[in-house]
Amino acid sequence: MSGPPAPNFVEVRDLSLAYLHEDGWLQVLSGVSFSIAPGEVLGLVGESGCGKSTLAYQLLGYRPPTAKLLSGQVRLGGADLLAMSRAELDRRRGNRVALIPQNPASALSPGMRVGRQVAEVLTAHRRAVGRSAAMAQVVQLFEAVGLPDPPRILRRYPHELSGGQQQRVAIAMALACGPDLLVLDEPTTGLDVTTQQQIIALLTELRRRKRMAMLYVTHDLGLLAQIADRVGVMYAGQMVEVAPTRVLFLQPRHPYTRGLIASIPQLRPGERVGKPLRGLLQRDELPPGCPFQPRCDFAEAACAAELQVLEEAAPGHEVACRRWRALASPVAIPLPIAGEAVQAAQMPLLALEGLAVTYVSAGSMFAKPVSAVRDLTLAIERGETLALVGESGSGKSTVARAISGLLAPSSGQILFKGERLAGRLRQRPRALRRTIQYVFQNPDASLNPRMRVGAILARPLEVFFEARGADLRGRIDGALQDVRLDESYAQRFPDQLSGGERQRVAIARAVIAEPELLLCDEVLSALDVSVQANILDLLKRLRAEHHLSMLFISHDLAVVREVADRIAVLFRGELCQIGPARAVFQAPMHPYTHALLMAAPSGPAALAGLVRAPEPAAAPKAPSDAACPYAGRCAWQAGEICEREPPPWLDAGNGSHIRCHLSLAELEARALWRAEPQPAGPPAAAEERAAP
Amino acid sequence: MTLSAAPRLVRAPLPSWRRLIRRSPLSLRIGAVILALHAMLAVLGPWLAPYGISQMGTGIPLSGMSWAHPFGVDQLGRDIFSRVIHGSHIVLLLSLTGTGLGVIIGSVIGLLSGYVGGWIDNIVQRLLEAIISIPFLVLALLAIAAAGPQLAGSPTLVILVVALVYAPRVARMARAAAIEIATRDFVTVARLRGERAWSVMRREILPNASSVLLVEFALRAGYAPVLIGSLGFLGFGMRPPTPEWGLMMAENRALIIITPITVIGPGLALASLVVGLNLFTDGLARLIGRTAPRNPA
Repeated sequence: MSGPPAPNFVEVRDLSLAYLHEDGWLQVLSGVSFSIAPGEVLGLVGESGCGKSTLAYQLLGYRPPTAKLLSGQVRLGGADLLAMSRAELDRRRGNRVALIPQNPASALSPGMRVGRQVAEVLTAHRRAVGRSAAMAQVVQLFEAVGLPDPPRILRRYPHELSGGQQQRVAIAMALACGPDLLVLDEPTTGLDVTTQQQIIALLTELRRRKRMAMLYVTHDLGLLAQIADRVGVMYAGQMVEVAPTRVLFLQPRHPYTRGLIASIPQLRPGERVGKPLRGLLQRDELPPGCPFQPRCDFAEAACAAELQVLEEAAPGHEVACRRWRALASPVAIPLPIAGEAVQAAQMPLLALEGLAVTYVSAGSMFAKPVSAVRDLTLAIERGETLALVGESGSGKSTVARAISGLLAPSSGQILFKGERLAGRLRQRPRALRRTIQYVFQNPDASLNPRMRVGAILARPLEVFFEARGADLRGRIDGALQDVRLDESYAQRFPDQLSGGERQRVAIARAVIAEPELLLCDEVLSALDVSVQANILDLLKRLRAEHHLSMLFISHDLAVVREVADRIAVLFRGELCQIGPARAVFQAPMHPYTHALLMAAPSGPAALAGLVRAPEPAAAPKAPSDAACPYAGRCAWQAGEICEREPPPWLDAGNGSHIRCHLSLAELEARALWRAEPQPAGPPAAAEERAAP
Repeated sequence: MTLSAAPRLVRAPLPSWRRLIRRSPLSLRIGAVILALHAMLAVLGPWLAPYGISQMGTGIPLSGMSWAHPFGVDQLGRDIFSRVIHGSHIVLLLSLTGTGLGVIIGSVIGLLSGYVGGWIDNIVQRLLEAIISIPFLVLALLAIAAAGPQLAGSPTLVILVVALVYAPRVARMARAAAIEIATRDFVTVARLRGERAWSVMRREILPNASSVLLVEFALRAGYAPVLIGSLGFLGFGMRPPTPEWGLMMAENRALIIITPITVIGPGLALASLVVGLNLFTDGLARLIGRTAPRNPA
């Protein structure tokens, strides 16, 4: 047993668990053992379906009725949770062990004021007697988790709070009784990057102050770099590698861990190491022997024969792979930055001129129209990929919806090959509807669950080409091959596919219409990291094969850097900066671009201490037309002028254009982010430089 | 740290029909058995019944339960049990076709109205609400009166009346479902292709509303025999001597003190059909509603 010799606070031994599946029992945990010392943060990472959430819930002694415990113990301070009665469990849950759930919106009761919900935990565990005493404690808790104006917040209902505030309430609820162990199940997955960073900063600080042990479950390895002491990697219900965080990033031993790390998109050129993961975790058809063997680049015949068990590779570093000694240290593969040399054609494929979109909120006839996008002018050349970047609510999707014809612009115009596009879909000819195709964020919602994949792909062909019979089937097979899916998939329903496969089908449906412009609206953000890398490669290949232009919408700068020729940064519906991808990542940059870059989680870069405390989320001011939209949140304020006048456009000289009152020299001087090309090498380079 | 090689529990998949039965809720199975009995009675009734539909003098009039006459004998000397069996197919056919027609009409109106939205939807909804606000028996009687004496007592009229009563109620449920489904991205994708409302409704919305509509069909079909029976009981449904159960209860209601079984018998038949229909369709809706895999990740 590794770890501190003192009796570990949390001790999981040989835990195996199965779920009742429609065809029988499916084993989701196989002999998992690990421990957490008091005050330690253990990260648990793996693809969806690997059993990490199931494992986390065992620390609360929770199993759904369809689960069967096959073996094992979960000891919390010596007592076995799995052998406890319901009453004994109830005394511990929320009291000594607390859960921070993935989705606070569904974890908080919608019909109850948040203050009362948190007070309920206190009174249930007799930590407070009486309503007023409990409420006084809730106010303190809300202060501790950084909620503004606690006495007012506690009278709110969950839907009146933002996602980040809801998660803070959930954290306050978990902290209410001062638990010894906090179980966090993807606590930041649903939040946008800036909010995510604020929550991480809060958790890090709480951990320092309260010395709580934590189990942090996530699919995002980059995040764990910032918060975890040790990381456990799970695959198909087994722990395949456990190591201190730094060691795991610098010297991953298991091929799966190496694949996971390689799948993290990087903000800097030349940092991607090794090959990203291929294939998918398929729970119901696991091979005998090592479960990872079918996807492993290093597998031998023996791997298929015997199950791998954890063995010590170095003190505190355990790995379940018989070949770990044979695996060389990772090799850096220089990654080409997306090409910038797209020849500017005479006429752009698509041009937005002074585009403005306003919403009239539904429900009220007299509601003031909300302006989502203001005075937006940009162009997409033929064969070019323009990325639109910004936090949620910045109007990125609105732009795509206006281009597609779903939303009519309130002013300005959209030119496609020099001709003005009708605002409404109905007024656009069929050929135009075909040449602009939309890929949505969430493939679960964009594929009709009651249609087979073949029928889904057939619809565009029937509508746009009036294809029939053999021609139709031939084209469907072709499209499936195009996105690397087997022809037999045509017979499947969407719920028989994995998330990545569904997004492939959604992409195939767009490409089958032979479009010239592809609108990709956050197409990766609903997917696992390992799948993201595959889909990104697919998009890049299709773009080249089909000569597509793309509008690529994303909040993830690292992804954008890999795919975009040019980047436009949007804040509250207005453009802050636009320029070639390389130039946008260099100083001088717009203060908002800078804030986004600093907040982006990105594995080794974050590990190397490059993550700064996020800027405070100032109260959003109503943006007046006369001011800089970012003035309310800007840390670099030029002065009063920001509130008074719209900022001018500055030409940075490297193709990048910045809209700011500060001068280029000032912008350059303030930027902490440096994108000097680093010596291409393992992430160790970044690591050593940051080490004190 | 050692890790025991725990056995992997994966069973061979069952054949699909056996899997379907295994997954089916108990209510579906019980309902299916009851409905199968009723269907058998409806088909084989003429051969199974001991006496003819209107055969008189089968026993002593107004006699109660006996082995020869389980539901007794009415004033005219007709065997009630035989008449209940003969009436089985009438009740089944009228209920199912009437409800089916109502669900089809209501679905089309509701799904289109919900998807199209705007002022069309507003007008359609106000009209439907106006119809729903009339108590259903009053509405049925109004419709029968409006149809005139030529049609009175014909099965077509009863079917149309059932459809008229149900369609607006189904339409409201269908509309609610359509509004929810219309916000999903796959509907947006269809709109982006420029598809017409009818096509979007048929291909994208209807298949996803099917479980809601089946539940509607279940609820309504389960109650339709009662509605038809009520019409018969009031003398506005089928005409004597049709062995429609509601009508039979009306014919014998004067005898309820002397030989209660002559009224209870047809009532039992009606009750078992209603219970069977409800169990079956409710179970079916639940089975169909299970699209998402239920095991947590």
